[in-house]
Amino acid sequence: MSLVAVAEKDFHDTVRSRGMLILVALFSLLVAAFAYAVRPAGQGEQFATEVLLSFFVGPFLVTTLVPLVGVVVGYNAVSGERESGSLKLLLSLPHSRADVVFGKVAGRGAALALAVFVGFLLPAAVLIVAPVAFDAGAFLGYTVFAAVLGVVFVAIAVGCSAASRTQRRALIGGVGIYVLFVLLWGAITGQLLGAAEPLIDPLPASSAQVRAFLRVSNPTTGVETLTNAFLAEQLFAGDQVNRQISAASMLVFWTIAPPLAGLWKFDADDL
Amino acid sequence: MTAIELRGVTKEFPGVTAVRDLDLTVEEGEVYGFLGPNGAGKSTTIDMVLDFVRPTEGTVTVLGRDATADSVEIRRRTGVLPDGFSVYNRLSGRKHVEFAIGSKEVDVAPEAVLERVGLLDDADRKAGDYSKGMRQRLALAMALVGEPDLLILDEPSSGLDPAGAKEMREIVRTEADRGATVFFSSHVLAQVEAVCDRVGILRAGELVAEDSVEGLRETVGGEETLEIAVGGADGDVEAALDAVRDLDGVTRVDRDGDTLVANCEPGAKTRIIGALEEAGVVVDDFRTREASLEDLFLAYTEGEAPDATTDTDGLAPTEADGSPEEVGR
Repeated sequence: MSLVAVAEKDFHDTVRSRGMLILVALFSLLVAAFAYAVRPAGQGEQFATEVLLSFFVGPFLVTTLVPLVGVVVGYNAVSGERESGSLKLLLSLPHSRADVVFGKVAGRGAALALAVFVGFLLPAAVLIVAPVAFDAGAFLGYTVFAAVLGVVFVAIAVGCSAASRTQRRALIGGVGIYVLFVLLWGAITGQLLGAAEPLIDPLPASSAQVRAFLRVSNPTTGVETLTNAFLAEQLFAGDQVNRQISAASMLVFWTIAPPLAGLWKFDADDL
Repeated sequence: MTAIELRGVTKEFPGVTAVRDLDLTVEEGEVYGFLGPNGAGKSTTIDMVLDFVRPTEGTVTVLGRDATADSVEIRRRTGVLPDGFSVYNRLSGRKHVEFAIGSKEVDVAPEAVLERVGLLDDADRKAGDYSKGMRQRLALAMALVGEPDLLILDEPSSGLDPAGAKEMREIVRTEADRGATVFFSSHVLAQVEAVCDRVGILRAGELVAEDSVEGLRETVGGEETLEIAVGGADGDVEAALDAVRDLDGVTRVDRDGDTLVANCEPGAKTRIIGALEEAGVVVDDFRTREASLEDLFLAYTEGEAPDATTDTDGLAPTEADGSPEEVGR
């Protein structure tokens, strides 16, 4: 299948990318350093893997660095090939433009997921050596969620790349994605919500519900919600189940909608 | 069935019409040379055949299918060597060919294809370290994968040394003998002269001539090129040139330093020499060159825009206007 061929090619190309390797190495070192720094001083102290992940590594490293790696891996996916001319080689072969966009999401997403797993190996070693209660299951599960977060950002960035005629625009788009989702989501959605108050009033949802939905609509918050539930062994259970379902649906949305929107533009373009 | 058929195709980009009302037919099994100076619209035409860009007006049919709607199916049966492409710098040559094999869903050994273009020894090097010529060979290898029914080669000899260009021509021949249609663009006529069954010349987005190579030869057959070495008398040369231009049977005269190059009927040679001597120009030496397609090509591509368009039978080269534009515009 054509999409698989594109995905495989992009996977091989991306795992050889120096930029991604450097970022992942940095990520790995930082997580390991964190694990080492916040290890309990006393011997008898209880310190679980879950606590380290959900209170230290999660908010400070995973939700900031993994989206960055995702954007770096994705932003030049289509526009870079377009600008260099390798897109001509790619589209001389029997691929539809849809196969190109989604093949790239798949291939680069897989490369990033692999990188995240490798990046968590060193911290895992530190945790095993350090005197903390190492919960391999929780740690592995957490890694999966971190990879999911990365893949979602790859998808958003690839969509943006497909819609961009030049690398420059794709880069601006990539920075915009990062700023929007990682830094300013709360502020921006808060503003929007304030402005849209009269529109929300007649709806059968309260303003607080809309605010909660907007919060988990952000893939970083969505993944955080799900990982915390997972680490608390409450995944898709307990009183937060609706919020988790919203978060999971929005992650699916962010993985599919931006590439589709990018494809819509890319498909109509003269190359 | 025709391999490529364009009917009334126009492509406008903002502020420029790249191709204007173009009709073009490439028959199955032929080797078609698509000629024209840079910027004439060759690449735009090829881009429309491959659905990289879509025509503003008109229809493009490739291998009996609509170029836009059935593009993937068309490309499954087409091998393309694009112009101005770049390789995946981090991937080896072998990976590139494997990618083409996987994309076309065929079962062939990458080594066999790499061997054919002379890249087997460098197959495991990163393509980013390849020279321009090697990249060109690599793209050709990718195009050859899966015995395509149609080969589209856009400026295939660029970046190749003479030996490489010769190998390229041999590969084109072999593919044509296998039954493939070859559509091949170039701005250098000599490269297509040797391999093409038919030639079309594009200028400023319009087809100004289309004929078999033999037909083109016949058209220029009556003409010869006379090279005259003149010495000394600089002051009078320009006046002498004008006198020569006014002679019957002289198509064009150009001055290149101390050499004058005149295209003329065979019978006009003595008249030219006579006119020069009459004007006081000393003729040191002269020789005639056989008329070449190159001269015709230049006449078509450098002259003023022709009023009469495509006519396969009655080829009438346009008058050169004596102030040729740059070919490599």
